[in-house]
Amino acid sequence: MTSVGRLLTARLGISILVLLGVSMLIFAIARVIPGDPARIALGPNATHEQVDKLRADLHLNEPIWKQYGYFLHDLSQGELGQSLYTNRPVTTDIAQFLPATLELIIVAGVLMIGLGLPLGILAAKHQGGTIDNLVRIIALLGVSAPSFVWAVILMLLFAFYLPLFPIAGRIAVEFDVPTITGFLLVDTLLDGQIAAFVDALRHIALPAFALALSGIGQAARLTRANMAETYHSPYIEMARSYGFPEWRIARRYAFKPSLTPSLTIIGLDFAAMLGNAFLVEAIFAWPGLSRYGVAVILRKDLNAIVGTVLIISAAFLIANLVVDLLIALINPRIRYSRGRV
Amino acid sequence: MTHPLLNIHKLRIAFRTHTKQTDALKGISLHINSDERVALVGESGSGKSVTARAVLGLLQQQRGIEIGGRIEFEGQDVALLKDSERRQMRGTKISMIFQDPVSSLNPVFRIETEFLEVLRRTNPKVTLPAAREQAEEMLRKVSIDDPHRVLRSFPFQLSGGMNQRVMIALALINAPSLLIADEPGTALDVTVQDQTLRLMRRLVEDHRAAVLLISHNLGVVREFSDRIYVIYRGRIVEEGPTGAVFADPIHPYTRALLAAVPRITKSGIPKLVDDISQFTEPCEIHPARA
Repeated sequence: MTSVGRLLTARLGISILVLLGVSMLIFAIARVIPGDPARIALGPNATHEQVDKLRADLHLNEPIWKQYGYFLHDLSQGELGQSLYTNRPVTTDIAQFLPATLELIIVAGVLMIGLGLPLGILAAKHQGGTIDNLVRIIALLGVSAPSFVWAVILMLLFAFYLPLFPIAGRIAVEFDVPTITGFLLVDTLLDGQIAAFVDALRHIALPAFALALSGIGQAARLTRANMAETYHSPYIEMARSYGFPEWRIARRYAFKPSLTPSLTIIGLDFAAMLGNAFLVEAIFAWPGLSRYGVAVILRKDLNAIVGTVLIISAAFLIANLVVDLLIALINPRIRYSRGRV
Repeated sequence: MTHPLLNIHKLRIAFRTHTKQTDALKGISLHINSDERVALVGESGSGKSVTARAVLGLLQQQRGIEIGGRIEFEGQDVALLKDSERRQMRGTKISMIFQDPVSSLNPVFRIETEFLEVLRRTNPKVTLPAAREQAEEMLRKVSIDDPHRVLRSFPFQLSGGMNQRVMIALALINAPSLLIADEPGTALDVTVQDQTLRLMRRLVEDHRAAVLLISHNLGVVREFSDRIYVIYRGRIVEEGPTGAVFADPIHPYTRALLAAVPRITKSGIPKLVDDISQFTEPCEIHPARA
């Protein structure tokens, strides 16, 4: 697997450059938008002297490249500065809020892969059949309305009119779960609290599904289209001419070559989910990073904005890296194309 | 007299869509004896490939296709077999070589995987090392000098000619009694195609396999086959031993085909008789040949 190792190193190097670029961009943008962070943080009753002092503390009076220098210096020590909104280090805030968002996105991703791919395969095998039409409907519903609309609809249907799921939050208040990883689904199990685990699962079901819906539809449609195309390829005909059973042809001969485009779109959907999570989290009162991000942007909390965006970019890059690696593992052509990444 | 290995009797195939019906084959009869090399020659769309797929039983399970007439393989009416029995026959007793070797091999499989899969058709318990050994031996027979490297490769890492030889090796490794070659190597350049055919000829002789060669190229057919069937618009218009057909083509279409074999002259590609009815109706086979 040396070729995969090479690919990994090259991609990691590029990812670091991308993150650096993102940090510069967001650093500049955060400072260009109007409003004085010091004034917002201190409120309308603060004196001019107090505001000026805070501005000086934040190096806001210095040129922007110098400010970026301070930022890089902090970053090299693993610090992202102090948040004016929570009065805590940004890293502490992120450590608190990130797991909730990641948990939501990972569960949505599992739903997307676990439902999208099998639906696509079934639709391709029974073209024009019930499942095929169902996939078409899901895909259409998923892309025709954004996730936050589905979040509201799902909430109304399955938490309000038909109270199958809790309406908001991550877990019921009566459960006391120690924070080990920050992922409630993991922590409850580590602590042996099965009831709490089930409750957390019930809480995450609706927001995760709302987030995953468009991805499920897209992944299914794409898988269906690729499988259908692969079924017309000469190597499937050859497999048939050698008398392999149909299920074996579907599983072994058609699925693997058709998977690459689906994986690519799944990677992109992961990224899209990070963005969509902002509104879904707001609707379901999900205490995640996206809600934190909205709050700090509204308050022009510079350090927190840069920190949040950086972390989200990093998550995005990691998701893409994982997808690229998976594609390389599946597709020998990519694995053996040296130098190209 | 024993049965011919393959006997096709008045085979009709029609494709039906919502609006219309297209007759691909209008009742063709042909037979192949064991050890015999027979060519089916015709232009694109004449029904050659459809015939091959019907023999393999690949069309029978598809919707919208009507099949009439009889296909007998080893004296057994193929239409009477169950789908699973037809499937059982493919890859073991009948195998097929396809036009485009590069796209006919699965892009995500190593060549050794292909061999393992194909060998497991006859012997499900065969292990990878055993399969490798058999495959290496077979690859040497198709003039591949470094079978070890080829087995570890993916199709895209090999040349078209190499892939073609791999296909031939795959098709013959289970020692089928009938090999169907659908325009082998047409997707490759002429020299490779020529090599391929020589190789195939030698190997089918060694393996005592009968061959149905499907081609539009009379030059290829002349060198390869014992007998020729000329197919035109779903009908067999002329048949006979290769030498006889070449020496004295009777049907106008055969003459046109023969004239279409490229020669270095100034005349270019000859025109076919404009009035098709002249040679498709009323008799498919010219009286002098029948």
